[in-house]
Amino acid sequence: MYDKKNPIIALTGATGFLGSHLMASMLTAGYKIIILGRPTKEETLQERITKLLRWFGIEELAGQLELAVIDFLKPMLGIPEAEYKKLCAITDQIIHCASDTSFAERKRDIIFKSNVSSLEGILEFAANANVNFFHYISTAYVAGANVTICKERISSATDFLNVYEETKAQAENIISAFCEKNEIPYTIIRPSIVYGDSRTGRSLRFNALYFPIQSIKYIKDIYTNDIINHGGKKSGKLGIFIDDESYLFLPLRIYLPKKGSLNLIPIDYFVNATMKIINNATSGGIYHLTNNSPAKMDVISIYNEQFMKIKGVEIIYGKSADNVLRNPAEELFDRFVEPYRSYLSDNRIFEKVNTDLVTENLHPPEFTDEIFKNCMEYAIRVNWGESIFEEVNQKS
Amino acid sequence: MNENLKTAKNCRHYAMCKIDFLGSGVCASGLEKHYASFYPVGRMDLYAAIAENTIPVTEKCVEIADSCNLCGKCDYQCYYVNEMRPSKVMKALKDYVGAYLKNGGEIVHSEDDKILTEIKRIVGDYWATNDAAVRIAYHHDLCPHVTFKMPEYVVMPNSNEEISSIIKLLNKNNIPYIVRGNGASSHGLVFSEGAILDLSRMKTIDFDEKNWFVKVGPGVASFDLQQEAKKRGYRVHTAEPASCVCSNIMTTGLLSLFSTTYGISADNFVDAEFIAKDGSFFRLNNITAPNLFSFQNSISAHEAFAICVSVSMKLHPVTDDESGILVPFQTLDGALDFVKICSTRHIGLAIGIMGSEYVSSFIAPTKKLAIEAKDIFINKLGMPYLVLLIGDKYALRSVSDMGFPFIDQKLFKTIFQGLSALKSAEWLNLLKGLSDDEPFSYLKISQFAELAETAVDPSPALMTQDIDSDLRLFFEKLYSRPEMNDLVWSNTFRIQSTRCCREKPSVALAMYLPIDNSLIAEIQDGFRGIAEKYHLKNELGFITPIDNGKRCVWEYDYYFDHNDPAEVSSVQQATHEAGILMDEYSVKTGTIRQVRYVVNQGCSRKENLLYL
Repeated sequence: MYDKKNPIIALTGATGFLGSHLMASMLTAGYKIIILGRPTKEETLQERITKLLRWFGIEELAGQLELAVIDFLKPMLGIPEAEYKKLCAITDQIIHCASDTSFAERKRDIIFKSNVSSLEGILEFAANANVNFFHYISTAYVAGANVTICKERISSATDFLNVYEETKAQAENIISAFCEKNEIPYTIIRPSIVYGDSRTGRSLRFNALYFPIQSIKYIKDIYTNDIINHGGKKSGKLGIFIDDESYLFLPLRIYLPKKGSLNLIPIDYFVNATMKIINNATSGGIYHLTNNSPAKMDVISIYNEQFMKIKGVEIIYGKSADNVLRNPAEELFDRFVEPYRSYLSDNRIFEKVNTDLVTENLHPPEFTDEIFKNCMEYAIRVNWGESIFEEVNQKS
Repeated sequence: MNENLKTAKNCRHYAMCKIDFLGSGVCASGLEKHYASFYPVGRMDLYAAIAENTIPVTEKCVEIADSCNLCGKCDYQCYYVNEMRPSKVMKALKDYVGAYLKNGGEIVHSEDDKILTEIKRIVGDYWATNDAAVRIAYHHDLCPHVTFKMPEYVVMPNSNEEISSIIKLLNKNNIPYIVRGNGASSHGLVFSEGAILDLSRMKTIDFDEKNWFVKVGPGVASFDLQQEAKKRGYRVHTAEPASCVCSNIMTTGLLSLFSTTYGISADNFVDAEFIAKDGSFFRLNNITAPNLFSFQNSISAHEAFAICVSVSMKLHPVTDDESGILVPFQTLDGALDFVKICSTRHIGLAIGIMGSEYVSSFIAPTKKLAIEAKDIFINKLGMPYLVLLIGDKYALRSVSDMGFPFIDQKLFKTIFQGLSALKSAEWLNLLKGLSDDEPFSYLKISQFAELAETAVDPSPALMTQDIDSDLRLFFEKLYSRPEMNDLVWSNTFRIQSTRCCREKPSVALAMYLPIDNSLIAEIQDGFRGIAEKYHLKNELGFITPIDNGKRCVWEYDYYFDHNDPAEVSSVQQATHEAGILMDEYSVKTGTIRQVRYVVNQGCSRKENLLYL
């Protein structure tokens, strides 16, 4: 049974990484949640949510959920009028978590549709429901690439690293203007780069931090296989070998624009902090959920060397000279890391006055070797997400 | 049904066993006796007929069974194409006939009638027969749309004069006849209850290099002509390897991926010779010759006007820097835009959009691997469409300059020989992520092919690991040969194309139409809808731009099991409905020409066929 004292929250993006963890946490806390979501070609919305509840081990809380299949771009979110009115009547707050997180410029139109054009419908719903809070999950990177300190205020930046940042900044502007005009209390929550659970390593998504590590893992597997099964026909020519300590020596130069770090927060911190913000928020509050001790790339590289049993990875700051000969692994890795490169050597500082005020000094943990290991072990166990639900299915 | 009968009834009748496409030799008795019946394709029919008691054991039946020396060459050929082992059927036929004779079985002798006696007087005793064991090989194929006919006679003339005399004789006696080039049939077009004239003895190939043409007799198969042309440093525009050059032009106007550059129909030849229905001879270049360059957009024009006894095919120059690439696309729209640009700008010699069904079938040595390859292309690589483009170094550089990532010859060889390793390659999952910003951008990494080669360790041994163990060594050696891995060679000789029906035979819905993306999508939806209604497997075959990108030729395929009456009935109905759909679009747009209406109008001038 859910706790009637808690508000009824309409949640978008519940099938995504952040949204699903929020859903799980709020259900556990006794909230009743209205999931505004979509089916996929393969699964109904109900099936998608059921699968997630099973992954979180909270199937018994399904009764606290109400599901509505919506289309952000249709009038009344594409919901039949009677149902729409009913949802308006019972919704107390909205957490808008749905987002297209792609950085791809070629998908600009699609990303704009998902992150900006879709706002009209959900904001109209907020107004019709007369909600007592509209919470928007944004990103810490709306302040632009060239600022030193990212303030807890609406951004007017134009120097974004990618279309994702641009749309999130635009969305913040639209939401704040709409909510202020319509006197809807609102918050904007800005997480930095989120990884799995810092205690268990569990995660539902494996991009951002995981993708470069995954690529090194596969590159390592390719050359290890070549050495073990094919006599190192190709590896030998590239100076790749397995040393006496069973480490793979893999010369891999990673070029980063400058010295800096990667701002990582675990999903458990994101969820706990967001819950506190929801409970203690003041209207118009902007909250950075970031790490005051961001992880240095050379440190992550050391974690990775130990974890993967590889040597030879070298972080080089600055641009590579055009005449530098690269081995195939370097070329491939370079392509993998490209969308994330700027985030790997970031020096921006995030203001956290509002956050500290409402999250009661809750802070994300430092990204340690142990956390790295837990997260990567889980990622490998579930084959970087490919078999993530198999484990749960087997248990059930 | 026993295994041998099942194999026999699965013969696709493509007659690949009549050409030496693997360099392993051709059935010796076929080469000596010439009748289709003495090749494995004929013995398959004969065994099925004997096993089902359709015909008795005849004199020719004994001769056909005896003449097989069980050399096993047909296994190599048929396994390559269809993964079948005909030699077991050959042996079963020999065993059956041997046991029949041992048990004192009666051999049926076919008496010559008056007509046959006359025909034999023209062509010689051996080259005409009414023996059922020979005739059975000429009485059916896998086409689901026709009523098959058992011919009364099979005749193998060897000169224009003999052909002329025979048809005068047949006309005089009101005996219907039909002509076959290579002796085989695959589209239900060459059946007669009268006489079959099999011209496959007439294999003359005369080059006139000064005038850039080669005069080809009516029994010459495409593969054999292409080989001769290649020896002299040329390329000839040909169709499927076992198909006969002359009859191919007459029936479909000859189209292939090379049609982008070499054209279709009358573009292919400089002259042709015919024997008219009255037995008279004429050359197309004669001022008094009938106008065979016209085109009538109707099935009523199908009656054969004459017998083509030679075509003088154009010789095309070949440069030593030709190479092939595969350009991947996530959508048909993208692929259509690309081929339109290339064709309009004259980039590439041969261009074709191929669906993953074709690509997988072509490159996989077994059915199982073809299914896995299709999954790899669609789901792991996200490449449901691939454009095959063959061109010289300037053409390929243009594609690169245009910014399209592609699979080059080196990477193709890795994929071709490493398919089995790709199915379990976890690292392929990464490529999806790399494609987010620019699809297939990893193909632009200069050393990607090198890395893929390291990961897959491709080899002929790897690609043949699922092949029957007793054939593995042969195929390992075969796939070691450079030309077997070469996109240019394989598309010039097209020996893999018949693999598209390895799982099931298909009916091709083919037409010429403008490269209009929405029109093609609309018609394709129609084709799909019809096929799904009848639960038929259906796939895009290929789309090739022609005439500088103003038109294309498009094949869409319905697959069916020819041994399952329910599926045959389904494909009949589905094809009928698809035909109506094509007719409707043809009327509505005024720009669509169906290839089925080209039959017997293959000499048409392209402009008459496409535009008027």
